[in-house]
Amino acid sequence: MKGQGIWITGVGTIGAYGSGAESLRRALASAEPPASVELDRSAGYHLSRAARKGLMVDPALLREWLSPGEARRMSPPSKLAVTASRMALREAGLEGAAEEGMGVVVSTVFGPTSYSEGLLRQILLEGPEAASPLLFTESVSNAPAAQIAISAKARGPSVTLCQREAGALLAVGQAAADVAAGRVPRALAGAVDEMTPLLHSLLDRFGAVARNGGPGGQEVARPFDRRRAGFLAAEGATLLVLERGESAEARGAGPRARVLAWGSAFDPTAAAAGWGTGHAGLARALRRSLERAGIELAAIDRIVAGASGSIGGDRVEALMLREAWADRPLPPVHAPKGVTGEYGGGFLAAAALALGTPFGCTAGFEEPDPDLGLVPHDGSPLPAPSTVLVTSVAAGGAASWLVLGAP
Amino acid sequence: MKQEIEGRRVAPVAVTGVGAVSGLGWGVGPLWAGLRAGRSAIRDFRRFDHSLHRTHLAAEVESFSPALAADPRWERLSLADRFAVFAASEALAMAGLAAPVEDGGVYFGSSTGGMFESERFFNEFLRGRWRQARLRDLTSQQVNGPGDAVARWLGVTGPVRTVSSACSSGALALGAALDAVRSGEVEVAVAGGSDSLCQLTYAGFNALRSVDEDACRPFRPGREGMSFGEGAAVLVLEPLERALARGGEPLAVLAGAGSACDAHHMTAPDPSGTGAAAAIEAALRDAGMPAAEIGFVNAHGTGTPLNDAAEWRALQRVFGERAGDIPLAATKALLGHLLGSSGAIEAVATVLCLRHREVHPVPACGGTAVDPEAPVALVVDRPLPLPEVRAAVSTSLAFGGSNAALVFSRVDR
Repeated sequence: MKGQGIWITGVGTIGAYGSGAESLRRALASAEPPASVELDRSAGYHLSRAARKGLMVDPALLREWLSPGEARRMSPPSKLAVTASRMALREAGLEGAAEEGMGVVVSTVFGPTSYSEGLLRQILLEGPEAASPLLFTESVSNAPAAQIAISAKARGPSVTLCQREAGALLAVGQAAADVAAGRVPRALAGAVDEMTPLLHSLLDRFGAVARNGGPGGQEVARPFDRRRAGFLAAEGATLLVLERGESAEARGAGPRARVLAWGSAFDPTAAAAGWGTGHAGLARALRRSLERAGIELAAIDRIVAGASGSIGGDRVEALMLREAWADRPLPPVHAPKGVTGEYGGGFLAAAALALGTPFGCTAGFEEPDPDLGLVPHDGSPLPAPSTVLVTSVAAGGAASWLVLGAP
Repeated sequence: MKQEIEGRRVAPVAVTGVGAVSGLGWGVGPLWAGLRAGRSAIRDFRRFDHSLHRTHLAAEVESFSPALAADPRWERLSLADRFAVFAASEALAMAGLAAPVEDGGVYFGSSTGGMFESERFFNEFLRGRWRQARLRDLTSQQVNGPGDAVARWLGVTGPVRTVSSACSSGALALGAALDAVRSGEVEVAVAGGSDSLCQLTYAGFNALRSVDEDACRPFRPGREGMSFGEGAAVLVLEPLERALARGGEPLAVLAGAGSACDAHHMTAPDPSGTGAAAAIEAALRDAGMPAAEIGFVNAHGTGTPLNDAAEWRALQRVFGERAGDIPLAATKALLGHLLGSSGAIEAVATVLCLRHREVHPVPACGGTAVDPEAPVALVVDRPLPLPEVRAAVSTSLAFGGSNAALVFSRVDR
């Protein structure tokens, strides 16, 4: 579906790379993953050989954006989401403005996991009467979106999407559709997730997380690499301000990027927590989506892929892109999750910055996988792109994409 | 044929099939029979041991093995997945369509996905009983589990998304489906919601003291809270013209959808009803329909003192002096609160009421009086015939202030 002059006018992001778009831009340009942090293993959740580290947010970064009185009432994802939303609104020149009709569309994969864990501990181990009303209130998937709406006084539609790794791009697409249709004058859209020891240990038990395998014993995500063995688990939040170009221009705001198209599809051959063989169907859907939006393949001069180092996920995404491009060479492909990690919106922020940020080499990539037929960008200088395709393929079968245009 | 909406001409979107699983039974047939009789499904239940919980009632789905269970895929599904797959299969069959649903999309709502099964895992894992904790109990844990299960079962290759905005999830999913069909993104949308009972939400709402120890009594004097339910509901949506051209029999038109956020409080609704009213008005604008044309309301009506009061004020804002005269159905009094799928099953209830031209009642509960502070025209004890009804509104007002409304109309409106 093609957008009609939908601009991204604000980007708010927080992750292990720091707070704000500039910190992520530096990380992407240097292709250096931020320092990963060893997760607390004292609860005994982790297997002995499990991955140990995640890309975690420094909680001190939140203090600039949240007062202690506000923070005490929020779960970690709510704090991250409100922080990112305030950053985005400030950048868009909307800080402090009551946005009566503004919409909020937030994607989360796991919701407020620490609060859910705490609640389950109370209910299952102490008895149901021990359940804390505060933990329950902030354990629901839509808590971050609700807190954003309260913070921004946003009284338009408030929607939380849960579609695993495809959710972030779906959220932006939903928001763009709402703005394009005139349902909202502008919208905050993005993604948030927190990483906890319990969640990290479960992802590891499912074989999803990169374990100790680098030359120095590090855990390294290797997007599209022959030796890829999982992703770097991350937490964080990214929120974007989307609005009609006319409305932004009227108050003197400029675009970081334009949202030209959005779409999604599903591979029904995928297992509930795994990957399928339906990349050809996904490619057809992607091609149809571009055709409906009037975007020629040849116009796409950059791809930002959601490949994370997942053995199955990277394969499906590479084959989808190869199938979509058929016998044409792919444009340069960036795979920033070697820097941003999986979850927490870092990938979405990287995509939003792609039009104005020179990316370095693909962090973690060293050896091409002949099965994939795709080699991500090596960091050599490239001209600034004019049209970027952003893709995500999720465990369970969903896939989503956006097309972003230069300002 | 086109629907006139704010100067735009939009092709109407029909509901061509509905499916449901609820405490009243598996299928739309038992659902309508129970709704029409005003029969409450809220009773003692066995889904899990509730002896230590504060309350002890729920509208539990009875154990049943449908024909679908012969499919080897059924065994791997969570309860919420099974509810969803059954409802979707029923809806699709009613629509006269068959899997694989090409050019189709799935738009689903859920609050807890496969949490019921996951609680088995966590009960062992959190106690350090690693060997007894089965990872496969987590496979469908996430809230997108039921929607994805439907998509896999029906061979859907189009867009699939799950909304998890608490009690408005199902209605928001239907709104997304409506947009997708109108825009031509999909030819057929399979839209709805599914949630099963689980201890997390049962204990959580009880921790908030939002649950009535007896069966809920929406809009009644002395009401003390909600009751729980579980189940799924699915509506098949497609362009009305397409449905008629292939010989389908549309059940109703989903004429409009709207949503708005209170931005007020995490759990308490805006007492002025402004946000809920905004959602209803947005839905009416989207439908190109004046409030005067609405023949009845299927309320969110949880039975909590604050929610019902706020909803009454919202109805006053939208309908003015008519607010106390428009017949009102409170489906949760019979089915309990299905959380993420409540908006979907109440949408099905609304379609059924429109189709049959009567509004289902709630049980008399010792009288027909409504709260004088929220004097809605609650239909009590017997179904209310509405031979001239043309359109209805269904409302969903969620935790976190996310409000959604759907407008349905008769095909022959």
